[in-house]
Amino acid sequence: MNKDIAEYALEYAKGKGVDYAEVRAHREYQEAIVLKNGIVEAYIQSVDSGFCTRILADGGLGFASTNKWMKDEARDVVDIAYKFARSANRRNKIVFAKEEGVEVKYSVEQKVKVEDVDPESKIAQLSEVDKTLISLGINIPARVIQCIITSTEKYFANTEGARITSFIPKVFATAMITVVEQGHPEQAARQFGCSGGWEFFDQWNIPEEISHEAKVLKRLVEEGKPITPGKMDLICGPEVAGIAAHESCGHPMEADRILGREMSQAGRSFIYPGGPFWIGTRIGSPVVTIVDDPRIKNSYGYYEYDDEGVKAKPRHLYKNGIINEFLQNRETAAKLGTRSNGSSRSVNYDREAIVRMANTYVQPGDMSEEELFEDVKHGVYMRSFTEWNIDDRRFNQRYVGREAYLVEDGKLKHPVVRPTIETSTLNFWSSVDGVSKELVLNAGTCGKGDPSQGIPTFMGGPMIRLRGVYIK
Amino acid sequence: MSEALDRTEVLVRKAKSLGADEIIAKTTFGRYRQTRFSNNEVDITVAWNDYVTDVALAWKKRVVATQIRNFEDAEQRIEQLFNLAKVSKENPLYGGIASGKFSYGKPSADKEVVNVEHSDHIQAAIQAAEEEAKGRVEAGGTLLTSYDDVYLVSSEGPVGQDARSAVELSIRAFSEREASGHGVSCSPTLKGFDPSAAGRKAGEIAGLARGPRSGEEGMYDIVFDPLFVGSMLGMYAMMSSAFYVMIRMSIFVDKLGEQVASDLVTLRDVPAGYSVAHRLFDDEGVPTKENVIIDHGVLKTLLHNTSTARLFGGQTTANAGLVVPTAWNMEMDAGNTSKDNLFEEVKRGLYLTNTWYTRFQNYATGDFSTIPRDGIFLVENGEIKQSLKDIRLSDNALSLLKNVAGVSKERQHISWWEARLPSLSPYVLIKDVHITKPK
Repeated sequence: MNKDIAEYALEYAKGKGVDYAEVRAHREYQEAIVLKNGIVEAYIQSVDSGFCTRILADGGLGFASTNKWMKDEARDVVDIAYKFARSANRRNKIVFAKEEGVEVKYSVEQKVKVEDVDPESKIAQLSEVDKTLISLGINIPARVIQCIITSTEKYFANTEGARITSFIPKVFATAMITVVEQGHPEQAARQFGCSGGWEFFDQWNIPEEISHEAKVLKRLVEEGKPITPGKMDLICGPEVAGIAAHESCGHPMEADRILGREMSQAGRSFIYPGGPFWIGTRIGSPVVTIVDDPRIKNSYGYYEYDDEGVKAKPRHLYKNGIINEFLQNRETAAKLGTRSNGSSRSVNYDREAIVRMANTYVQPGDMSEEELFEDVKHGVYMRSFTEWNIDDRRFNQRYVGREAYLVEDGKLKHPVVRPTIETSTLNFWSSVDGVSKELVLNAGTCGKGDPSQGIPTFMGGPMIRLRGVYIK
Repeated sequence: MSEALDRTEVLVRKAKSLGADEIIAKTTFGRYRQTRFSNNEVDITVAWNDYVTDVALAWKKRVVATQIRNFEDAEQRIEQLFNLAKVSKENPLYGGIASGKFSYGKPSADKEVVNVEHSDHIQAAIQAAEEEAKGRVEAGGTLLTSYDDVYLVSSEGPVGQDARSAVELSIRAFSEREASGHGVSCSPTLKGFDPSAAGRKAGEIAGLARGPRSGEEGMYDIVFDPLFVGSMLGMYAMMSSAFYVMIRMSIFVDKLGEQVASDLVTLRDVPAGYSVAHRLFDDEGVPTKENVIIDHGVLKTLLHNTSTARLFGGQTTANAGLVVPTAWNMEMDAGNTSKDNLFEEVKRGLYLTNTWYTRFQNYATGDFSTIPRDGIFLVENGEIKQSLKDIRLSDNALSLLKNVAGVSKERQHISWWEARLPSLSPYVLIKDVHITKPK
């Protein structure tokens, strides 16, 4: 990364009389290992670096990027972005909400630096996951273990004086298995992620976690029964609570979606100006509070300043069941008469930053897990999920249980085969009457943007209990 | 030989001099420009250039790969990559890469796409949508123009040069808050690009979709629009890659030679000249060709690179990506009936124009659901009777193939955000499809 070139680009943009300009430079080291049935399918190592400029001029936005670190290239990208901005010819001029430019440096510490761990050791640790699976004596004909490591150095500078340097290493791992018992295949996938060093790979204890999944799938084939459809109580484990928080709270609360900017791809939101749902409207029961917080240390969605140079902070999206605060960038905040809350993120120098979640979770409550279960007469405990999806208004969603059990008189019974809840956002969160104390966060990659920008996030929660929902 | 090709060859020679058994290097100079619009206004125009060399190297069946963007230290990166191979582990299933000299056709890319004035085409599409919807619409979408120069050198003989261009417009028009239609126009050349047609399609569906009411759960005969079919073909294409079969992320495990679909279904992978995915060679330098994956309902082949083909006892199908086999452009063969005739066969069913968010419970069994969006219509006696909303298609990927009851003559080239794999898709009638709704 060459900060001088980035500064040169910014100075050149200033000389054009722009309303606003920023330069964002990235240098990212990437490493990926794919282990298929115990064999290293491929080991990939790369370094990518480049920079972009985004310019606001005459109420329009332009963006251009390059991976050539040269002054003439810097002038070119500024010229292109400036031309794009001026040619937007918008009736409704884009303005940015006010921000102070800050000068700051921050980084995430690694107890064990990812680049210090030799490739043989990384392969050995992934192989250990595979060996553990084989040792279970369960028929697992497909085992895919992957690890992706990134170390990202960023430099952000804008015409308002912001100068932000950051370094964030991340480790991400996935394990996907197919168990075949009695001729029937069942599948499970797990994801693990952090901001930090290789020390987290050990902490995740992937061999034990994925072994648990294999045993659950075997038992599901052998003992699982379908549920008789009907209204009943549903206890969601943290994984299910987390995906619901992400899909039916985080996404509809993205202000760019609310204002229609994603209308042709990821869609709009059931929340919109002049609609039945807005800030202050009830969307869930009083025990439901959902937070998005980028600043959780070592989280997979961690950052201190967003990609517009705005200080990150916790966002209370749904608060005590009420729609409370949208995820904002500077453009949406100006349109909605507020300030950005630091939600603008980009995956790389060649993508514009857009409104994103970071770490979204259901805030823990005051019940023990035993209390959640003890007065369930008839219901399902959905510990994890397989299929999930939601409509593009983020109102009609479905979660299908992977590990799930019948609950009768507060006791866990036999596994339930793929219990399904298909309901509305309003009904889901309004049915919650109990929230446990212990918060568990899981890594995930959130998809949005065109071109697609898969971005690291955490999603999670404690256990939550829904009363009288339809399960099939 | 161009400078880029020469530079690519230098990397291959460097790797061979170090002792690499096989190496492929592919240099791409890509120029991309995209304009995003929503609420009938341009939100932003972005341009990005990518100068990258993808390298895959094998040494004693250890497979490693990298991307090189800084050419100043490219040879040093090759050394690092070779050193990585030395400490990686052997893949006993690795079967090598294609060898020999091949001749390729001439690139047919259209350089003019990079000079396209985006805003004119976007305005044409919006105007067409409003005219067809017979009223104001709120429209959003993207216009992407791209031009790639590609240079490939393999240590095993293939040397190739290609140029690939594309212009793709996607427009979604809302006539009401919950009434929308979507249209696309995509072409490798300006000659085949028709933004107004995309706008007309979006506007037509958006107009018909006004006043939706909640749909009902049940089994339906459904006419699927080419846009919806394009998403489904992407799903079947992924599952036909030998790699995904090997990891059981596919309904086609152990199904070669079996009837997996109605005999009305023939699926091909064809990187043809009309497609935005057109290409002269795959990532091993093998000349691309047409592959019939499903022939009148029978699974004939998976998609292979050289290595997976050897494992399965066959020949490469010229679908090598740098690591795993991948489809280029899916085609579903046209049927012998018209779109209108398909509708006439529906006594009481649905017409689904688009979908998104397809997720599987189990890739091996094929159980999945997907969420129809944009126009969803109740069809009675061949006529559209009512606009619907709030439904989900919850069924099985194999069952859908087997229940195909009609395929139209009319087909459309599809490529957009939700259907990233380009396709040539017809209207398709499928019987007894399970529809669910929230409770």
